[in-house]
Parts: sequence; structure tokens; C-alpha cells
Amino acid sequence: MSSPFIEIKNLYKSFKNSKGETIQVLEDVNLDIAKGEMFGIMGFSGAGKSTLVRCINRLEEPDTGDVIIDGMNITKLGTAELNKRREKIGMIFQTFNLFDSMTVFENIEFPLKATIKDKEKRKQRVLELADVVGLAEKVYDYPSQLSGGQKQRVGIARALANEPDVLLSDEATSALDPQTTLTVLDLLKKINREFGVTMILITHEIEVIKYACDKVAIIESGKIIEEGTTVEVLEAPKSKTAKIFTGVESSLAKAWEDKKGGAR
Amino acid sequence: MTFENSTLGEILKSAFSAKVWGEMMIPALGATMYMLVMALIIMLIFGILLGDLLYMTDKNGLTPVPALNSVLSAIVNALRSLPSMIMIIITIPLGRMITGQGYGPNACIIALAISCIPMFARLVSNNLFEVSQGKIEAARAMGAGNFTILTKIVIPEALPALIRSFTVAVISVLSMTALAGAFGAGGIGHIAVQYGFNRFRYDILIATVLVLIIMAQLIQFLGDAAARLVLKKRHMM
Repeated sequence: MSSPFIEIKNLYKSFKNSKGETIQVLEDVNLDIAKGEMFGIMGFSGAGKSTLVRCINRLEEPDTGDVIIDGMNITKLGTAELNKRREKIGMIFQTFNLFDSMTVFENIEFPLKATIKDKEKRKQRVLELADVVGLAEKVYDYPSQLSGGQKQRVGIARALANEPDVLLSDEATSALDPQTTLTVLDLLKKINREFGVTMILITHEIEVIKYACDKVAIIESGKIIEEGTTVEVLEAPKSKTAKIFTGVESSLAKAWEDKKGGAR
Repeated sequence: MTFENSTLGEILKSAFSAKVWGEMMIPALGATMYMLVMALIIMLIFGILLGDLLYMTDKNGLTPVPALNSVLSAIVNALRSLPSMIMIIITIPLGRMITGQGYGPNACIIALAISCIPMFARLVSNNLFEVSQGKIEAARAMGAGNFTILTKIVIPEALPALIRSFTVAVISVLSMTALAGAFGAGGIGHIAVQYGFNRFRYDILIATVLVLIIMAQLIQFLGDAAARLVLKKRHMM
């Protein structure tokens, strides 16, 4: 088998808290992600999943370890090279992080300014992207005029601007209602299918994994404790965390049963 | 023209008379406006530069340089702790060095600009810190460099707040120009001290106070309107 498209090797990351104590956030994380895969990383709050995905484009600097994308070791890049590579690593966020001072058009145009110098060509590309995410009608609106789902679509268009080969999603649907979550996931699946973008989706929602991911890794206290295809992990969860997520072992479900019993 | 030798009616009548306004207030207003505008231009340039620097070098800024930040921060705080009157007095020699004389509007502009740059710089850096870390990270993730992030994202995002800060600064510079009038700068402050205080011309005192109040109101109104205009354009209010 050829080497994986994204390789995360022996990744460690720690923070100092306000008391000066060292908190180990990521501990010896190893992951292989194939080209074109939709890879889910699931865990509870504070498990380190956000830190992990932010280490991939170095919004967070790992302490030690390697992140290799398509043969290029991201952790070894200098600032200029890193910025160049980042143009081809899209990222979307839970809070969308659109620029309120810009229209939808300008938001999508922003990452293109560094790569397409010709204004007319850039405009073409922006309109094309707006069309892909279904917001052709809204290009001259400001973010504050959009719904949550529409904002995330702008975020997606912006992340896709420079034809990335990787898309990182940091809880991108967590602020959306279930219905909108599905439409956004549909869009991500469509993009994955049509453009072959490899996606890493961080989430604490099992629905996201079930609906969109080919593979899933469970992270707990900074360690990958379980990993496999979505069907494998969800059908036969081994770790306690995975069992809680899949509902096999759920304190909520138990509480609900108790409540129903009490009402009877 | 005090209450001992005139009635309130006479004082008020004189305060609004063509003689007082034509001979004193209008020319003084011109001198005040000149000082105000020049001092503001200098303040705007250096205040924004210093404010950006405070923001960029902060430990949570775009390019943390904690040592430089501590030094800058200490200087800004020290200068801000001085009352404006003291600032004007200690910057007079500097004004003399640059303009060749220690009195008059030009010397005073230097003093005014220097006394308000630290205050404005602090306001600017505070405004820039209000821009959410998420937006900066989004730009970073797209491969934008620090300079692009500052000029294309952080400053435009903070623009309404920056306009409000500038409005606050304009009004404090206005009150400082009035104070500087007492130190030979000319303008409204000079008239108030020379005639209103030294010669007991209450009518002129009233006229100067009126001019300053109207100017401050007008500045606040324009500043609010400008900030509102930006927010309306972005559909944020």
C-alpha cells in the first residue's frame, strides 16, 4: 500500500495553565489518513481534538512529532513556505469567523488575492465558488445578513477558494440546528466527491460521524484510543467513550429510563 | 463687564454681539481650528502607529515581542499619567526645538500632539484587541501574513470602534487647545484667559464657553454619525 496522504506521527502538545502547571493536551498521536477520505475525530470537550486539528495547519505549534501532508513535512516549514502551503489547506470553524467588514464576495475573494492577481479572473472564481455553495444570490450581502447555515457556506466557499487538497473542519456544524447540519454535511460530501478534497472533521456529534465520515478516531485525554471505519467503530465500540457516544453505555439514556420508570 | 458693573442682560447681550464675535471669537476660532486639525493629523499618524505596535508586540498579539511591549507600555502609561497642563509645559522646549519658538500655535501643536498620542495609542490598541481571535486565525489558516492580517482584517474589523476612539481623542485635544491658550498658544483659550479671567469680561467668558460646548457637541455628533454609517453599511445595526 502506498503511503497515506496525511500522516501524523508521534505528535505531542502541552500547554501551561495559569498556575504554571504543564497540561499534556496531545500524547503520542499517530494517524494515517488516505487521499479523498472523510475522516472524523470524535471526543468530549477538552479531549484535545481541536488542538489536534489545529496542529495540522500549525495554528498550534506541536511540541514534537511530525505532520506530513502529501510527502511534505508541515512541521519543518519556515513561515513563508507554511503560508504558501496553508493556501491549499482549507479550514472551517464552529463560529464561522467571517469578516464582518466585508461582503460575502469580499470574504471569498480574500484568500484569492494572494494567488490570482487578475481582478476579472478572481471575480470569476468568486462567483463560481458562491455557486458551488448555493449562495450566488447573496454575494453582495454582509455576513450579518445571513443565517448560520449560510454563514458556514460562505466559510466553506472561502476555504475552497484556492482548490485545497485538505479541508479541516473544527466543529463546523456544532452551532447549527440538526436540519442545517445535514445540508452543510451534504455540501461537504458533495465537495469531497466532486473535488476529491480530503477532509478531517472534528466533532462531538455522533450524527456527523454517522452521516459523513468514512473513518473515525476516538480521542480521549489527548490520546487516540480507538480507530477504524465508521461502521466498525459504531457497530462494535470498544472504548468507554465510544460506547457512550454510540449510546451503548449512556448515563443520559439510563437517566431517561429511570425518569420514564418513575413517571409510570 | 462683571456683575458689579453690568446686569445679566447686558452681559448676555454683549456675549452675543457682533463686536465680540467679529473681532475676537471668529479669529480665535480660526486659530483653535488650525491647532486642532494639525495636532490631530500628527496624533492620528503616530497614535495609530504606536497603537498598532502595542497591539502587535503584546503577548496575545500577532508578533509577540514581550520585552519591547513592556517598554512601550511603560512609556505610554507614564506619559498618560501626567496632567495635560504639565505635558504642555514640559513639551514647550521640544516645540521650540522643532519650530524655533516656544510660543504661538506651531509650538503648541507639537505639545498637543505629544500629549495626546499616548492616550490615542492606548485606545487604538484596546480597539484592535476587541477583534476576535477566531477571525485572525481564519486569516492565518488561509496563509495570510501578519501585515496583511493587521491592515486587511484587524483594522477594518475594528473601524467603528476606532472612529469612536478618535472622537474621544478629538474632544480631549479640543479641551487641551483651550488650556494651551493659557500658555501663549492663542485661540479660544487665550481669549478666555486674557479677557474673561484677567479683565473680568464675563461676556467673553460666556462666548468662549459657548463655542467650546458647541464644538464638542458637533464633534461627538459627527463621530457618532460616522461610526453608525460604517455599522449600517455592514448591517450590524
